[in-house]
Amino acid sequence: MIEALGTIGFAHPWLLATLLLLPLLIWLLRVTPPAPKLLAFPAVRLLLDLQRREESSARTPWWLLALRILAAALVIVGLARPVLNAGQAPGGSGPLLLVVDDGWAAGPDWGARLAAAEAALAEAERAGRPVALLTTAPSARGEAPRLSPVMPAPEMRERVAALRPLPWPPDRAAATEALAPWSASGAAVLWLADGLAHGEADAAFAARLASLGPLTVAVPPAGAQHHVLLAPRSEPARIVARIAATPVPATTTIGVLARTADGRTLARAEATLPPGTTEAEAAIALPPELRNRLAALAIENATSAGAVALLDERWRRRPVGLIAGAAETADQPLLGALYYLDRALAPFTELRRGAVRDLLAREIAVIVLADVDTLTPVEIDALTRWVGEGGVLVRFAGPRLAARPDPLLPVRLRGGDRQLGGALSWQQPARLAPFPQDSPFAGLDVPNDVRVTRQVLAEPALDLVRRTWATLTDGTPLVTGETRGRGAIALFHVTANTEWSNLPLSGLFVAMLQRLVQLSAGVGAATGDAVLAPFETLDGFGRLGAPSAFTTGIAASAIERTVPSPRHPPGFYGPDAARRALNLGATIERLTPLALPEGAAVRPLGVEAAARDLRPWLLGAALALLTLDLLLALWLRGLVRPAPAARAAAVVVGLAFVPAAASAQLDPMQAALETRLAFVVTGIPQVDSVSRAGLVGLTDFVNRRTATNLAEPMGVRPGVDDLSFFPLLYWPVTPDQGALDERGVEALNAFMAEGGIVLFDTRDAGSGQGMAAGAEAALRRVTRGLSIPPLAPVPADHVLTRAFYLLTDFPGRWIGGQVWVQRDQDRANDSVSPVIIGGHDWAAAWAVDETGRNPYAAVPGGARQRLLAYRFGVNLVMYALTGNYKGDQVHVPIILERLGQ
Amino acid sequence: MSEGAPGHPAAAARRAEQLAARLPPLLVAAERVAATVAQGVHGRRRVGQGDSFWQFRQFLAGDPVQRIDWRQSAKGDRTFVRETEWEAAQSVWLWRDASAGMRWRSDRRLPEKAERAELLTLALASLLLRGGERVALLGAGMRPVSGRSMIELFAEAVARRGDPGALSGLPPAANLPRYGRVVLIGDFLSPLPDVQQAVARLAQIPVTGHLLQVLDPAEAALPFRGRIRFEGLRREGAALIGKVEGIRGDYQAKLAAQQDGLRAIAAAAGWSFAVHITDHPPETALMGLYLALAPDRAGRGRAA
Repeated sequence: MIEALGTIGFAHPWLLATLLLLPLLIWLLRVTPPAPKLLAFPAVRLLLDLQRREESSARTPWWLLALRILAAALVIVGLARPVLNAGQAPGGSGPLLLVVDDGWAAGPDWGARLAAAEAALAEAERAGRPVALLTTAPSARGEAPRLSPVMPAPEMRERVAALRPLPWPPDRAAATEALAPWSASGAAVLWLADGLAHGEADAAFAARLASLGPLTVAVPPAGAQHHVLLAPRSEPARIVARIAATPVPATTTIGVLARTADGRTLARAEATLPPGTTEAEAAIALPPELRNRLAALAIENATSAGAVALLDERWRRRPVGLIAGAAETADQPLLGALYYLDRALAPFTELRRGAVRDLLAREIAVIVLADVDTLTPVEIDALTRWVGEGGVLVRFAGPRLAARPDPLLPVRLRGGDRQLGGALSWQQPARLAPFPQDSPFAGLDVPNDVRVTRQVLAEPALDLVRRTWATLTDGTPLVTGETRGRGAIALFHVTANTEWSNLPLSGLFVAMLQRLVQLSAGVGAATGDAVLAPFETLDGFGRLGAPSAFTTGIAASAIERTVPSPRHPPGFYGPDAARRALNLGATIERLTPLALPEGAAVRPLGVEAAARDLRPWLLGAALALLTLDLLLALWLRGLVRPAPAARAAAVVVGLAFVPAAASAQLDPMQAALETRLAFVVTGIPQVDSVSRAGLVGLTDFVNRRTATNLAEPMGVRPGVDDLSFFPLLYWPVTPDQGALDERGVEALNAFMAEGGIVLFDTRDAGSGQGMAAGAEAALRRVTRGLSIPPLAPVPADHVLTRAFYLLTDFPGRWIGGQVWVQRDQDRANDSVSPVIIGGHDWAAAWAVDETGRNPYAAVPGGARQRLLAYRFGVNLVMYALTGNYKGDQVHVPIILERLGQ
Repeated sequence: MSEGAPGHPAAAARRAEQLAARLPPLLVAAERVAATVAQGVHGRRRVGQGDSFWQFRQFLAGDPVQRIDWRQSAKGDRTFVRETEWEAAQSVWLWRDASAGMRWRSDRRLPEKAERAELLTLALASLLLRGGERVALLGAGMRPVSGRSMIELFAEAVARRGDPGALSGLPPAANLPRYGRVVLIGDFLSPLPDVQQAVARLAQIPVTGHLLQVLDPAEAALPFRGRIRFEGLRREGAALIGKVEGIRGDYQAKLAAQQDGLRAIAAAAGWSFAVHITDHPPETALMGLYLALAPDRAGRGRAA
């Protein structure tokens, strides 16, 4: 039914045969002349005799003919339902089995996978084939893969659209089982594979699919490479991301991002994979403070759960300070006090050396004091405080400490030390006993070859047992510890070198130190059978989110071996203090490409464009052409005249652009012809309407009471409109007004320099910040860049107080605020202040609405205040129009006196 | 409808008065005044109702004593009666074509023919009323009125256009008094015999009259192009012209023939005939009517 013509296929190709009828249409259209223009005409009687005289053979114009033929052809082709990029349909005529790999490896190209599924559904819909769906990963509920019922393609579309990649591997063995009972004649199979091998069941699965019908496998295209982040390796100065990839024939570069818990990227490293290789490493070097904030490594631009390696405490590097009592010999190889500590701690911590004060100056988690007896009282106080805040102080005994113990010890020591074994002793060197259950070292294996030959002894006390973290086989404490505040103090009763024991030579030493470091800052890792509840889990795209209801906790001891599954998706588990990461990459050794089954058609995923049904476009174009034809026919008959039609079109277009028109510049000619007041448009309709109404009211008042003849006020935008026509700008300052742009600043500066006056009204005076909070800040913001002279409160003899009326203050809607003008001493601009700044909300006081009333009550009120507000307005207009002319009147008495003489 | 809207009779009257204000009041030249008893300004050179002195005559038996002019009688022995000249007003019947054919214009910038005809009618009425003459709208069932204030009444009568679909473009037969004046304003595109009949009907009463043909410029020039189907407004039928520009000359010739026929009809009845195109100012047409109606200083009572 579907016939492919190149990349365009037709669902109903037989309809194209009607194209043969087009010549008939051409002939029909040519013999039918177009309808004449219709015109009413009173003098038609005179024409009645003339009409037979001349009759030209009227024919449809060729362009109209072409238009109609084209429209007809478009309709025919559109009805034949062409489909662009109609893909190769899978064979068979029965149901289509759509198999989708939705495991973690499907995440990166999920869009292409969905598009391919959609395209397959669209094809099936066109072909009328029902569809069955099988996803290969266990569902989020933990159910094994199940085959959906066979249903029509449109119904299947919703199911497919709801599919999401899941952050665990597919279970193809279970999928094979799900397929076992299914059979349909003429079925075709489309397998949207993720391109990776997932165990031994792959071959059986592919074979089962192939046995159902013609199999098409859509795999990621040849160049696409799968990546997974294996468990990162922690190195002293850096953290190394290990990347496993499928081999590709080209060199690829992979970016690895180091992210914090809040999603910020702190570092990026690149790994280069030469052709054919499957593993690469990218080292990320960060200062420990930053490194400890990392929550995850992620492969750049790869959206899959495998491309994210979550980091927990195991990858944190904590700063550890080392101080030795005998500083000069501390680093002596094999003998020095810090030699073994250095080697044990360096792989997983950041080591620092220095005095106590230097160490405490920076963030530090653990301080190890190896046989130190030189602590001053100040240092002891500082260390005590630091321990209380979460630091861990680890002390090693030695001859010096044994001689001079200090208070920073978990137990009181007896003077001197105890020698076990040796030439003069009956005793054998002591071995270690298994660690007590409540000790931080619980669970560590005790090697048999650790011998302690000398140690310091603790003074027996009631709580000594509780403070003992490790003992020798005879019960003497080897390590004692005490938690103080949020931190802890631990004492090894032996030295940190091999002088008193061979403990530093054993692996246990490293493990014990590791546990102690983990104690710092509240890190008490849960061990044993404690269940770690899921905290945040990754989804199939590698994004962290709240765990689903089907997720269950993992025993702390089992988390190392847990393979991610619906019950345990990769993510963070455990309480805040002891969070553990479960990574998909930790259980993957390498990535193997899927062995494509024999005899299956292979199609790259996401390469072909989605099929597009052209019918709506063609029919739409035909409709548009026919509409045009109708308009042309009307025009030919004189029913539509081009001019009104164009005008109507212009109106329509104009309506579409009303906002643009509204923001257009004001007409300079209109502004220039008459003197008028202006206000600055704030863009807030309410404020602008008050400004306009206010200036209208003031203009009326001024025209009534004075010889001035002002025209209707205008709204202006500094920087957009020419300001030079206006004597006075009223500027209501609103709290959220932004700063002026450069052109606005320039325009206003020019305006003020040429004698214009700007009245800034913060509209808050007399009411504090209550009425227009933030107006002052806005005023500061707005006037930034304006050349505003030094200001002073309006003096009592200012021209403003006498320009027309004699005024003592300048009330507006409010009263009592201060009004500022240019300082009197400035002679610039003929002593006329270019700005007047106040906050009395004058426009509201002046405002007059359509019915001629004042819509805004004055506060405190009264006709007198309103009248004074208007009088201030008159004075202001006079001041703006006449400058300091009225100031000269001050001298009138003197002049009169002079004349009198 | 508000007072200032163009269609309102008062507004139409104002506009017409504005137009008429540029001319002096019109006193109709009337050798013979319409045979009515209405008092007017036309002295009839005989005794009758009027203001101006006509003659003294001797008191005859039967005259009312009150009519004796004692001042004149005191000069002699005989008693005299004072008689005034009979002063009558001329009545002018105005008619404008209100048929559907007049409600047309070729361009929205032009007035409709009917609009222009009404304006001229009203302006003429205004002039006549100011001159003290009596005016009536022919075919409106209206008695002649006089007095300047009557222009409003007249405007209302004009505004009552009657049936907008009226087809006849000719004045109705009306029972007019003898020696009246009529002014007929219309497009007179009806067949000439019909016009002849209508004019003759009036002329035999007898009344004298004036024909003013109001035409749209498009009717005068036929400026269209291309293939057009012309449809009449008075149900004359339709004419499909394949190429309008080709018959323009013929059309204009036919129009000229129509106008010649009209002029001949008017001349035969002793009437005058004029043409007015709506894109010309109405003042010209009004002036023409004024001159046709007013007493001619040089040759009083000029016909046509």
